[in-house]
Amino acid sequence: MSAHRDHVELRPEQVAIPPGHSWNRFPAIGAGCAVLGVVLCAILGMGNPKQFLFSWLVSFLYFLSLALGALFFVLIQYAAQGAWGVVLRRIGETIFATLPVMAVLFLPVVFGLGVLYEWAHPGAAEHDALLRWKSPYLNVPFFLIRAALFFGLWSAIALFYYRGSRGQDATGDASVSARLRKFAGPSIIVLALTTTLASVDWIMSLTPHWYSTMFGVYFFAGSFLGFIALLSLLAVRMRAAGLLDTVISTEHLHDVGKLLFGFTAFWAYIGFSQFFLVWYANLPEETIWYKPRIEGSWLPIALLLMVGHFIAPFFYLMGRSVKRNGSTLSVGAVWLLLMHYVDLYWQVMPTLHPEGFSPSVLDLAAFLAVGGCVIAAVSWLLRRQALVPLRDPRIAESLAFENA
Amino acid sequence: MAQTEAELLDNPVAGEPTLILRSPDFHSITDAVAEPVERPTPRAWWYFFLPSVAVLGLLGVSVAWLVWEGIGIWGLNVPVGWAFDITNFVFWIGIGHAGTLISAILFLFRQKWRTSINRAAEAMTIFAVMCALTFPGIHVGRIWVAYWMFPLPNQMGTWPNFRSPLLWDVFAVSVYGTVSVLFWYVGLIPDLATMRDRAKTQTRKFAYGLFALGWRGSVRQWHNYESAYLVLAALATPLVLSVHSIVSMDFAVSVLPGWHTTIFPPYFVAGAIFSGFAMVLTLMVICRTAFGLEHIVTLRHFDYMAKIMLVTGTIVGYAYTTEFFTAWYSGNPYEVYTFVNRAFGPYAWAYWIMFSCNVISPQIFWFKKARTSIPILFVVSIVINIGMWFERFTIIVTSLHRDFLPSSWDYYTPTFWDLSTLLGSFGLFFTMFCLFVRFLPMVATAEVKTVLPQADPHWHRGPERESKDHRAALRHGGTPDPVTEGAS
Repeated sequence: MSAHRDHVELRPEQVAIPPGHSWNRFPAIGAGCAVLGVVLCAILGMGNPKQFLFSWLVSFLYFLSLALGALFFVLIQYAAQGAWGVVLRRIGETIFATLPVMAVLFLPVVFGLGVLYEWAHPGAAEHDALLRWKSPYLNVPFFLIRAALFFGLWSAIALFYYRGSRGQDATGDASVSARLRKFAGPSIIVLALTTTLASVDWIMSLTPHWYSTMFGVYFFAGSFLGFIALLSLLAVRMRAAGLLDTVISTEHLHDVGKLLFGFTAFWAYIGFSQFFLVWYANLPEETIWYKPRIEGSWLPIALLLMVGHFIAPFFYLMGRSVKRNGSTLSVGAVWLLLMHYVDLYWQVMPTLHPEGFSPSVLDLAAFLAVGGCVIAAVSWLLRRQALVPLRDPRIAESLAFENA
Repeated sequence: MAQTEAELLDNPVAGEPTLILRSPDFHSITDAVAEPVERPTPRAWWYFFLPSVAVLGLLGVSVAWLVWEGIGIWGLNVPVGWAFDITNFVFWIGIGHAGTLISAILFLFRQKWRTSINRAAEAMTIFAVMCALTFPGIHVGRIWVAYWMFPLPNQMGTWPNFRSPLLWDVFAVSVYGTVSVLFWYVGLIPDLATMRDRAKTQTRKFAYGLFALGWRGSVRQWHNYESAYLVLAALATPLVLSVHSIVSMDFAVSVLPGWHTTIFPPYFVAGAIFSGFAMVLTLMVICRTAFGLEHIVTLRHFDYMAKIMLVTGTIVGYAYTTEFFTAWYSGNPYEVYTFVNRAFGPYAWAYWIMFSCNVISPQIFWFKKARTSIPILFVVSIVINIGMWFERFTIIVTSLHRDFLPSSWDYYTPTFWDLSTLLGSFGLFFTMFCLFVRFLPMVATAEVKTVLPQADPHWHRGPERESKDHRAALRHGGTPDPVTEGAS
């Protein structure tokens, strides 16, 4: 709160990537990574298409989850009318604007359905009563229809919010904010339902006999935390690169850090509740999912998640000074982004390698390919637009924000 | 009056909405909150208090008869060995969660509107925990062995089972009760000191002074107080999640279809907050009118509470839907049967009461007209509380009444004593709440003052101020000085 919040004018050079700035190279770097990744995938994937598809699925889910987390974040900002986060909103908007791109990156999964998903094997349901029971839901045409529906709805919401916010940069029309706020609640409901079903379809159905009512919430918790980590990292790196350094303050970093801390705990709460109830009841039909994931060389990965995804960052991020210092905050953020990848890897890969953790160059290649595309898309958008919602009615309040 | 209700509810796209009406100065807030406690007992108070005590008496009679006769007076039998007792326990524990959310989580989220309602909501939490604790205490009809719940060996040298969530409940709820009382009491200290300073009789001065712990309102005391408050808020935050998560595990660690499902912990927490806010709303609608606090607890506050109920009600709806879908998806015939039986079996009436009260009724809060209409708010808040009681009843009884063997199927019907014990617990709750509003300031005056415009350190007179409330505050409120007025 400040008495001077009504009189703030952002100069264009404060909120744009200036010509000649090193960040202008990111689209090329991203494209380079993508090309390299695709070439590697093509060469190595020929010999091992199964590994390629699973590696691709993990990387696809990773970047998809970050974009969905961004969409949740921005929608919640609109619905709750928070002012503090306005200066960070454009980062989220740019990330979820890649959701239509994610639909293209989903294509290998579509073509590899029969390899990835046991239930999609031709004739799989014939000898399996459970798969027969589930076949009205788990069948290839309906799966594809659902995927199309998810991407359609996500892209529609994403572009509606991206265009609305970008448009306001030019017009400064306050009614845009009111309109976007109005649609935020229903959009969150649509997003929650589609995200839940997508996590069931794309991750849970890898073990088609298994089920857990918590699974959608677990995916959401990881996605949201992943995005907050990415947001922290980007905010810090932008400041360090001389972008938005007069706009994003320590106060904003502190608040993002608090969310990072809070959702680290939330992820652990959801993940623990799911594991604990399955472990306690000890029913074979439920433990089948955890059993390979906590055995052999997957056990150290599971323990790494417990320590690295929760205990260590929880204590690390607890203090005030860690969150208010860019370099310490970004260490936490990078670590949690890594852990988010490990989490998805640990969910997906034991289906392919139930015998134990077996890393592959294709994991890296797929990550480069998908990540390169996303980095190229995001940084290309960043170059063409203001890095903050310039004329949002709450921008002045956000700029002047201070933690009491 | 500086602002009208309509202006108050105008939803700005920028800036902070007005929270407190009539632009009061600091002192008038104190007056408005303290006077109802200092006045001679109004007749209307007795109209609430005496019936509450009478209903509390019914609880006493019900418990006495239970102890005399045993739990045979309830409708319990095989296979429904758990019904109203645990339903009421979960219901009351859930009610308490709104108080903790308001005092802890909304505090950390900088939701300033919490200041008008947090005191009453925290008091509600404590009384709800008291009501909840009644039920484990009496549920075996042998009050003299209630200590078996505690981690102590009994006469036969047997310890309670540490692997049982029922024992974790003891830890969770006792921590919850303790922290809630501490939080509430710490918040009360400055106001107790105000009451002491305003007291006209020696008895009042002594009583309030005793509990005010020598509070003088010095800067150093305020500094320590604020730090303590923040720490307590941080400690209470995990409790919002943990207590009802553990309560949900009473059911979810079992292998019973309908009870054993992984989404239970967050689903129970959302439901608890949902029902708690409904109860806060019911109470505040009555209290703000009864004590003339309409300018402190405004339609804006109700608007926000209604939004939280819309969110949590919809989360609960998400959980109902997910459970149903996953039951089908599981392909487990017992899971499928349990859920179909819930919705279309002999207890379908309870299921659909639950569903319509909890998922459909709060959807009216998408509309601002409903969120700011006192009659609609009041009715829906009661409807939600009915629905949330039925949620627990549905979960507990429908999952039990048809055991795996059809020979173990039964239909549970509550007896008079089941119903009288439930009703009696409301007597306990309202008796405590009546006593609270009679003897303690029901609004945290020091906290409300911090959300007044003149509490902003940058607040100053002058034509450059654009905000209406600031100018109005000057016209009506004189020249309050935050420093000297702070402790009044």
